[in-house]
Amino acid sequence: MNARVRLAAGVTHSNAGGSRVGRRYWRSLEELADSPAFRTMVEQEFPGLAEELEAPATAATRRSFLKVMAASLALAGLTSCRWPKERIMPFAYRPEGYVPGVPQIFATALELGGAALGVLVKSVDGRPIKVEGNPLHPASLGAASPWAQAAVLELYDPERSTTLVRREGGQRRVPTWDDFVAFAAEQATALRQRGGRGFAVLAEATSSPTVAMLRHALLGMLPAARWVEYEPVSRDAERAGLAQVYGTSLRALLHLDQARVIVAMDSDVLYGHPEALRHAREWGAARRGDGGAMPRLYAAEALLSLTGSASDHRLALPAGRIGALLLQLAAEAARAGVLLPAGLGTVSPFTAGTPEADFAVRAAGDLAQVRERGLVVVGPGQPAEVHAVAAALNEALGSRGTTVTYTIAPDPERRPHLEAVAELSASLADGTTEALWILGGNPAWDAPAELEFAQRLAACPQTVHLSLYENETSRLCRWHLPRAHALESWGDARAWDGTLSVVQPLIEPLYGGRSPAEVLAALVGEPALSAYDLTRRTFASQWGGGEDAWRRALSDGIVANTAYATVTPRLLGDAAGEAGGRLAVRPASGRELILYPDAKVFDGRFANSGWLQELPDPITTLTWDNAATLAPEDAQELRVKHGEVVRITHGGRSVEAPACVVPGQARGVVGLALGYGREAGGSVAAGAGVDAYPVRTAATAYLASGVEVQRTGRRRLLATTQEHHVIDTLGMAERGRRVGSLIREASLNEFQRHPEFAKNATWSQARPLWQEIELKGEHQWAMAIDLSACIGCGACTIACQAENNIPVVGRKQVARGREMHWIRVDRYFAGDPSDPQVRFQPMPCQHCENAPCESVCPVAATVHSEEGLNQMVYNRCVGTRYCSNNCPYKVRRFNFFNNFTKVAATTRMAFNPEVTVRGRGVMEKCTFCIQRIEAGKTAAKNERRPLRDGEIVPACAQTCPTRAIVFGDLKDPSSEVSRLHRHPRSYGILEEIDTKPRTLYLAKLTNPHGAAGEGEASS
Amino acid sequence: MSAVPLPLDNTLEAPGTRAPLVLGTSDLASITEQVCEIAERPRPSREWLLAFGISASVTAVLFAMVGYLVWHGIGVWGVNQPVAWGFAIINFVFWVGIGHAGTLISAILFLFRQKWRTSINRFAEAMTIFAVICAGLFPAIHVGRPWFEYWLAPLPNQMQMWPNFRSPLLWDVFAVSTYFTVSLMFWYMGMVPDLATLRDRATSKIRQIAYGIASLGWRGSGRHWHRYERAYLLLAALATPLVLSVHSVVSFDFAVSQLPGWHATIFPPYFVAGAIFSGFAMVLTLLLPVRRIFKLESLITPRHLDNMAKIILATGSMVGYSYIIEFFVAWYSGNPYEGFTFLNRALGPYAWSYWIMFTCNAIIPQLLWFKRFRQSPWLLLVISIFVNIGMWFERFVIVVTSLSRDFLPSSWGYYMPTWVDALTFLGSFGLFFTLFLLFLRYLPIVAMAEVKSVIPAAGLELGPHHGHGQYWGEIPHQHDEQEGR
Repeated sequence: MNARVRLAAGVTHSNAGGSRVGRRYWRSLEELADSPAFRTMVEQEFPGLAEELEAPATAATRRSFLKVMAASLALAGLTSCRWPKERIMPFAYRPEGYVPGVPQIFATALELGGAALGVLVKSVDGRPIKVEGNPLHPASLGAASPWAQAAVLELYDPERSTTLVRREGGQRRVPTWDDFVAFAAEQATALRQRGGRGFAVLAEATSSPTVAMLRHALLGMLPAARWVEYEPVSRDAERAGLAQVYGTSLRALLHLDQARVIVAMDSDVLYGHPEALRHAREWGAARRGDGGAMPRLYAAEALLSLTGSASDHRLALPAGRIGALLLQLAAEAARAGVLLPAGLGTVSPFTAGTPEADFAVRAAGDLAQVRERGLVVVGPGQPAEVHAVAAALNEALGSRGTTVTYTIAPDPERRPHLEAVAELSASLADGTTEALWILGGNPAWDAPAELEFAQRLAACPQTVHLSLYENETSRLCRWHLPRAHALESWGDARAWDGTLSVVQPLIEPLYGGRSPAEVLAALVGEPALSAYDLTRRTFASQWGGGEDAWRRALSDGIVANTAYATVTPRLLGDAAGEAGGRLAVRPASGRELILYPDAKVFDGRFANSGWLQELPDPITTLTWDNAATLAPEDAQELRVKHGEVVRITHGGRSVEAPACVVPGQARGVVGLALGYGREAGGSVAAGAGVDAYPVRTAATAYLASGVEVQRTGRRRLLATTQEHHVIDTLGMAERGRRVGSLIREASLNEFQRHPEFAKNATWSQARPLWQEIELKGEHQWAMAIDLSACIGCGACTIACQAENNIPVVGRKQVARGREMHWIRVDRYFAGDPSDPQVRFQPMPCQHCENAPCESVCPVAATVHSEEGLNQMVYNRCVGTRYCSNNCPYKVRRFNFFNNFTKVAATTRMAFNPEVTVRGRGVMEKCTFCIQRIEAGKTAAKNERRPLRDGEIVPACAQTCPTRAIVFGDLKDPSSEVSRLHRHPRSYGILEEIDTKPRTLYLAKLTNPHGAAGEGEASS
Repeated sequence: MSAVPLPLDNTLEAPGTRAPLVLGTSDLASITEQVCEIAERPRPSREWLLAFGISASVTAVLFAMVGYLVWHGIGVWGVNQPVAWGFAIINFVFWVGIGHAGTLISAILFLFRQKWRTSINRFAEAMTIFAVICAGLFPAIHVGRPWFEYWLAPLPNQMQMWPNFRSPLLWDVFAVSTYFTVSLMFWYMGMVPDLATLRDRATSKIRQIAYGIASLGWRGSGRHWHRYERAYLLLAALATPLVLSVHSVVSFDFAVSQLPGWHATIFPPYFVAGAIFSGFAMVLTLLLPVRRIFKLESLITPRHLDNMAKIILATGSMVGYSYIIEFFVAWYSGNPYEGFTFLNRALGPYAWSYWIMFTCNAIIPQLLWFKRFRQSPWLLLVISIFVNIGMWFERFVIVVTSLSRDFLPSSWGYYMPTWVDALTFLGSFGLFFTLFLLFLRYLPIVAMAEVKSVIPAAGLELGPHHGHGQYWGEIPHQHDEQEGR
């Protein structure tokens, strides 16, 4: 009977027009209950019941009818609890290499702003759960950015678009892909007749060769059609600058490992760059002072960036003055003997003795000394002329070929993004563009404000938008198409250096989305080709090699030797001098507003990710918000308090944002991150921050000069993870006193003279009062964190969150001080508040051998393992929170609520099945990724071999771009962690209270100019 | 007290004469009448009903808050990282402290033969019991998963797990539960003869049965008195160390941890002194109105008030000394964390709470050096309320300021209670007063049998005594040796 009823459910399901889930079935219940098909089914399944359905005459029969129907409908409704029936198939044969429950790793790539990052994705029983860097990929080298790591959460986001949407005459309909393919074919025919006139494609930047081929095919078919590429955050200025001095569109590749002196001009090469992960790796490797030498970094910047924080000399300078500083640098370099092109090196905008001039003298002196080992790098927000001068300076130093190399920029004829979108907007306004297909992106929200793109888009008669979310742009388009996530579609992409990766899916599209290539294929008349077919075709036609090469590409995640060729361009005679001349006349201007891509939500595309929203901003530690950052002096001058909402006005456009005081920011500068204040960004993004795009025009895409800042008197509580309230002077003074012993540092010279400088830097030495317990485990796990390498990017925090099922608690809870991160990155300011040094310290559980938390737990829920791990037994925890009180590092996290009640069914798929999901009332903390330790031990045991050093890597260490975190076994004296624990720079924090931390820090080394450490103040 | 005629001022110390402990023309019968009458009124007074209605409603709020808490989780409170303990632990220590006066008065003063205790001991003991009930509630609800609380008990179980005997929280469980048990037994046992009096005077069936059961068949025989006095003495001896130990153990919750501001060897004596201080203040706060309302001025005389005020002065000075010596120790230890913690208490973001504490506990009670303040019920009432406030803030200062700024400045935070915290604290007063009002209504609020033994009619002045009630003065068989037996 049961089986028959279930069969009936199946029949009902197929009758309901292919609805995938039971929910839809219920919605059409009434309609269905009366349909002939339903009656037939009832007749077949319940003979004798059909009569009652025909004539429910008496109460008694109606009741019995209802009873039976209730049972069968209830069972039919159960389809809502399962995935589509037709896709569940048992394995007749187990696929090769697949063992249920054992994770599989697949190589693929994720693209951001037209540059691919090679990643390895861990998949458990068909569910991708964790993104790691691909060690073979040149842009990753094994590390993954927070954005890449958050891709799994995005994949499972229940608010992603699930259906096609067609809007006509105020109606919202839900068509099928077949409807769309038919529509596309119809369109293609119509367009072909007029040669594509009036048709445009607006695409986000992509490096996909398949998309490029389809674009070619499309433009071949429709010669009058237009292809427009737009990214709100782009590096077009750099491209234009290089074109000014070299005559062609070039792409620069930086080689920090070759550099001895780096001058970063408003440039965050360590975080805000497509190759930031590689830069960070090279930086981290070079800064450990092992060979007695390390590169020196000069940074001049308006806002405080990670690169500025890592620098040896930092100059806070309004962004509009960076060009002038570069000229000063050139002049000083010329004075120091560097032969500059004509017209450069003649102007010194800053008078001698000013901090700017001193900075330039020192930096130029160092550059002149190291010549081709020097590097001048300029940030993407700076105008093309600054890039041009910097390129000429690098050329003059002889750095081209060592610290910087060039390749021909892909798609060299492309119009700059801002110009292209402006032209498109104009053509929409005058009606020359009648049909617009938008592949990805969100231009209605993030196009320059003066274009009024949204209104023009809404007026366009035929618009199609392919997007992961039904966002601000989708709402204005006639068609919305759900996009397949990168983790669920086939494709290809190239890294910043050109290395090709094949994008392979980890899972069937959860919501039936399609990739941009598939949508284009539908338009160019190849609708039958799947993304896989298209990708293979591109691969075969461009790289050949057949099946073996394809499999190799899938397995490695890269295709070897596909990087763009390095070119040796020649400097155009006077171009650099002319660019310098244009710079020189640029006047200094009033208060600046800098609109920068956010460290977490980027340009807004990641705004619906709880992990990224809750990741503290590296500098401000702000979560769930953006804020108008102000230098302390400016805040004082404007009489603005931290958290007070200010109105920022420029050219008649204004935005209101809460103020956030950031020491080290240049005076006269307001910073505001893009990407917040989404209107249609989803429930996670809702209410997070303010939208900065309304003040962002093409001319002020990065920098607006002469803005006005007014107080509004309103306040907004900012959820920061440090300084939950504005700190008083007493606390500030004490913090200043303590930083020195928490983060020990010395210059390279001091270190060479006193290698043991980091030892014994505490106020007292503890001596044990009793015989201490000896741990007898086979392994003794430990960690070492090199503060010289750490740049504070927070990738470890996200990696840990993804690996260990750490909940997102939301803005209010963070404001209360209840964030759950197991590894946090502490940020300290040291030195003069107007020109502070920034120091970062990742802080996981220290796994103290003498752990204060363990002795105070009344139920023994936190205990020490024989292998030296401080273990937390969730099942045993009753939640007295005494352990947290007694933890001197405050790394324990308490589940104040049940943090998983509101997690959607799809999001639950992102959970790591190896890690317990904690309920409420339970304490939790870093475990050193015990699930990975046990998996590694098991693997070694099965293979009857000892564990190898480096075989077990916790999530934080695995993803750390600079390799600052090292984990291993202290019992093995040759292990890396043993070596680091013996290192002269190693120290434990709060050693004086005798906690005996198993996590040691390696003191920070700096390399300031001059005879450092002998009175030479680092800037 | 203006009601008491001047010649009968029993607060004067005249050499050679004992000051009377009970004033007025009390004889044995009138004492019985005076005390029993309170519990025998046919219907409660309007004031009692009003007070009971209010406190029962506030108790309902408490239970609503507890339900809300258990349903949603600890997050409805203001606790966070780093301040993982908040109002719940503050209230716990506050109420446990209050629960000190009763047993101190009953047991320690009994052993020291302070006869003046007889008028107030019942009252103070009742307060102890109710305060400990309120105190016990808070640790029970403050854990994250209260349904697993029994894991703190050393019960044999299928998990083969003992609790962690190194944890002061576990010691707390033992200390507080032992203290509660012994205090309850002491209180109840001391009440048996008086309950029997109520039973004998009862006119309704229900009262006869209820008091009959409660009085355990007391008949007042010489053998009964003998057993009773032995048991009372033994319990007093048992309870005496508990008075000192329970708050010492509570202080271990803090002192055993390594947190600056908690990790201090001064804590046990400092906590005990503070507990007695707050306990006596609470006794006064309750006693002064009750004495007035129920016209017990002749039993609870100015001398009683004077004595209690002196104890408050003494313990308050000890507490004030501790506050100051903590600063000295912090400086003298050379420990920079410790030093900062105390500076931060006095000058940091929570300085307001520190100065409330210091003013209420260390400065205001110094007024009690003046006799006028010791003997005016109104002034005493005001001072005792200040002490109660101050002692609550003392626990707030200890718990919150230490936690909010510990070792790593990166994890410093700020604690703000929520409305649930506030209403739960308020609700605990509702529970306390509800129990207290029930006590006033149904039980003998003054230990009649004991008071009778100190009035002139008992023949205290008439040389070697005969009859019962003299257990405080004459320990049975104490003269056996002298008499060669």
